[in-house]
Amino acid sequence: MTERTDASAFPLLASTSCTPPDLKRRTLLGGLAATGLASLLPWQHALAQGTDRATLSIAYPTDVPTWDPEAVTIPNIQGIYQSVFDSPLRFSPDGRLQARQFKEWRWTDNTATRLEVTLRDDIVFHDGSRMTMEDVKFSLLERGRADKKLVIGAMLTTLADVEIKSPTRGVLVYSRPTPTAPIYLAFMAAYIVPKAYLTKVGADGFNAAPVGAGPYRMAEHQRGSRIVLEAFDKYWGGMAPIRQVILQIVPEPSARVALAESGRVGMALQLPVREMQRLAGKPTLKTKIAPVSEIYMLRLPSYVPALENEHVRAALHLAIDKAALSKAFYAGVAQPLSVLAPKGAPASAPDFNYPFDKARAISELQAAGYSTAKPLSLTLLSTNGAFPSDYDMARAIAQMWKGIGINATIEETTPAKLVEAAQNGKLAGPLLYSWANSTADPEIFAGRILDPRLRFSTWKDMALGPRIDSLIAEPDETKRLDGYKALNIEASEKSWAIPLLQAVTTVAYASALQPQLFNSGYLIPAEYKYL
Amino acid sequence: MFHVTCMIAVRRLLAAIPTLLLLALVVFVVLRLLPVDPLATMLPPSATAADAAAMRQQLGLDQPIPVQFLIWLRDAASGSLGTSINFRQPVTGLIVAALPATIELALLGLILALFISIPGGVLAYVLHVRKRETAADVGVTVLQSVPAFLWGLLLIIVFGVLWPVLPFSGRIADDITLPGLTGFALVDLLIKGRFDAWLSALSHLLLPALALALGFAPLVIRVLRSSLIDAAREPYVEVARLRGVPESRILWRHMLKNAALPTITMIGVQFGFLFGSALLVEMIFGFPGIGNLMVQAVKGNDMPLIQGIALLFCVLMLAINAIVDVLYVLMNPRLRVS
Repeated sequence: MTERTDASAFPLLASTSCTPPDLKRRTLLGGLAATGLASLLPWQHALAQGTDRATLSIAYPTDVPTWDPEAVTIPNIQGIYQSVFDSPLRFSPDGRLQARQFKEWRWTDNTATRLEVTLRDDIVFHDGSRMTMEDVKFSLLERGRADKKLVIGAMLTTLADVEIKSPTRGVLVYSRPTPTAPIYLAFMAAYIVPKAYLTKVGADGFNAAPVGAGPYRMAEHQRGSRIVLEAFDKYWGGMAPIRQVILQIVPEPSARVALAESGRVGMALQLPVREMQRLAGKPTLKTKIAPVSEIYMLRLPSYVPALENEHVRAALHLAIDKAALSKAFYAGVAQPLSVLAPKGAPASAPDFNYPFDKARAISELQAAGYSTAKPLSLTLLSTNGAFPSDYDMARAIAQMWKGIGINATIEETTPAKLVEAAQNGKLAGPLLYSWANSTADPEIFAGRILDPRLRFSTWKDMALGPRIDSLIAEPDETKRLDGYKALNIEASEKSWAIPLLQAVTTVAYASALQPQLFNSGYLIPAEYKYL
Repeated sequence: MFHVTCMIAVRRLLAAIPTLLLLALVVFVVLRLLPVDPLATMLPPSATAADAAAMRQQLGLDQPIPVQFLIWLRDAASGSLGTSINFRQPVTGLIVAALPATIELALLGLILALFISIPGGVLAYVLHVRKRETAADVGVTVLQSVPAFLWGLLLIIVFGVLWPVLPFSGRIADDITLPGLTGFALVDLLIKGRFDAWLSALSHLLLPALALALGFAPLVIRVLRSSLIDAAREPYVEVARLRGVPESRILWRHMLKNAALPTITMIGVQFGFLFGSALLVEMIFGFPGIGNLMVQAVKGNDMPLIQGIALLFCVLMLAINAIVDVLYVLMNPRLRVS
């Protein structure tokens, strides 16, 4: 057989006449174009989103893994839990502790072990049953004891008993002085669930069809896609102005930006800071970059030999230009911090300033025996995407350190990996970390961050344990806050941890919407309304 | 022929059992050896080592790895893949709920890919014959260089923002609730006779499916073009031409059928990777399928769920390979004889 080229095998195809393949191609291309256009046209009607003023669609990054609010402590979903379950107490938008389901609370002793609480008498669960102290005892005490997989037990470790005095009155009894007990009633996991319903349907049944006493009831949950909340008409605080809230679960930030930009949602949260300026130029949108009760910091493992040296730690701290980090990555809104607390938080030590001083950083490093000629090598651990611009910030810090004679190799990690490493005392170096604390109380900032006994503590100075214990048990509020303020200043001066910036949250919303943003960063749609 | 097909399917299924066991063991051991703590995101900052130990015991994570594997294997044999740590629900239930969405997405992605790649492959072949293949090569290379998730973002910008004609988030419009009969939205809505809702579901599928298709089609185009070039050298083509059969008929009826065999093999192999691409595409489009579930499982170090989904991918790959083998036999009479 004679071997031929492909063209010679198809003389007709090679000709310029109107050949069948030519026709086919045209038909094909025309058909494709027609199909494409035809396929697009009928869908336009399907794009209608809930744009009436009774409905609000929100592009949200995080889904709810479980509807048992006492099972997990994920800061991002606490606003959704508060919407469905409400909470015994709550922090106001500007961070003050407020009455909610508990209308009154007071210590009946001087040692902060007996907290008398009065429950509102008009709280109705979504199934129509009334909330009583039985539900409170079941939720805060009994569930945590019966099921160790629930985190409520680990949150309220000193709660020993709930004495029921009447359906709406009781005493929370603590095994040791717990003056901060009220803040934990406005924090994570401390939600009141209906005892009768949960006992009847079991944990799985409750997860499938949760019943709370919040301003919204969960009407639909398509896992990984959307959550539909409907306003509860018997909510003690009155029916929410926005009758239906649809949370579209969109983990990808670019897609959330596109949803806001195209007007398909009324609100989009946690958008990249770099996109905010562009979105602000859209006439139909308003944007906000708001500080929240969360801090970015460097945690230092005390067992890394180089970090035992006080001069090295001081050099690491002094070399960081926190204002430059804020300007570069958070539009200058993130406040530079000198202590382990946001500006204005209790025990935040507003008069104390830890400076950025490169010359001093160089001399401190020289005192430790290092310089640009003889650099110190370190590993800097950072997550990538756990919080906005984390990895970029780590790279900038590494550059700042390089300027004084510290060569930092950035090692990317994940929250789960670093907890494992911290538990086993195997963190290789300083760790860039974000610490959320919606209460802003110093016990949950410095008290937890520096407690050497906790499973993922990094600064293992065991002498701090008794000091923190005494502050945890201190019933005098002034003394307690002064104690934490002193701890904060000492921690910063000795660089046991390096506070960097107060975190920010970003939100874009329809011009007609009037959202109430909370210092906690929580999404509370019951407080939103249309103008 | 039916007998032969069944024989092949049974043989394939039997061969899959040891493969599946081995894969399950590998996935199980690898997950347990990773330096990550599944309790990391579950416990509050105040939790002590004792709290962590108590939870670890309740979840069975304190047992030696071989014991954990044997327990898991025993439960898996009875259809239980354990309980998800984060979702606190049976893994099987979570997978069953999410799988139809992914299958629907992948199938539509495959259909769209075929709509693009069969004419595209033929066109590339025609351009090759006309010695104008550079344009086709450039086009296919450009298509191939863009991964599916990037197509997703581009499609969102074009059809979601600049020319907002298609939805790009979720599975259906906000005001429609899926009936949840089979889990396949298009099937369920047809059964219920809700055609408006059906259109909505289809429109929500289009962009993510197109993103998958655009990532998948270039490979098929290339293989089909090469197969057509090979087929053009076969004697039957010359015979057909000598018999006066029109070129279009030779191409579409005879050459394409023969060129389909290697293409089907490639599609079969790549279809598994289509599920892999769905992982990111689902996340971008907020599509509630297996990919989205996997991302959440990985973020939360939910080992039972990761294990379950990994096993599902193994099963899918084995099933797809078996289907491709059967199809191959159906389309190639010579294999039936052998």
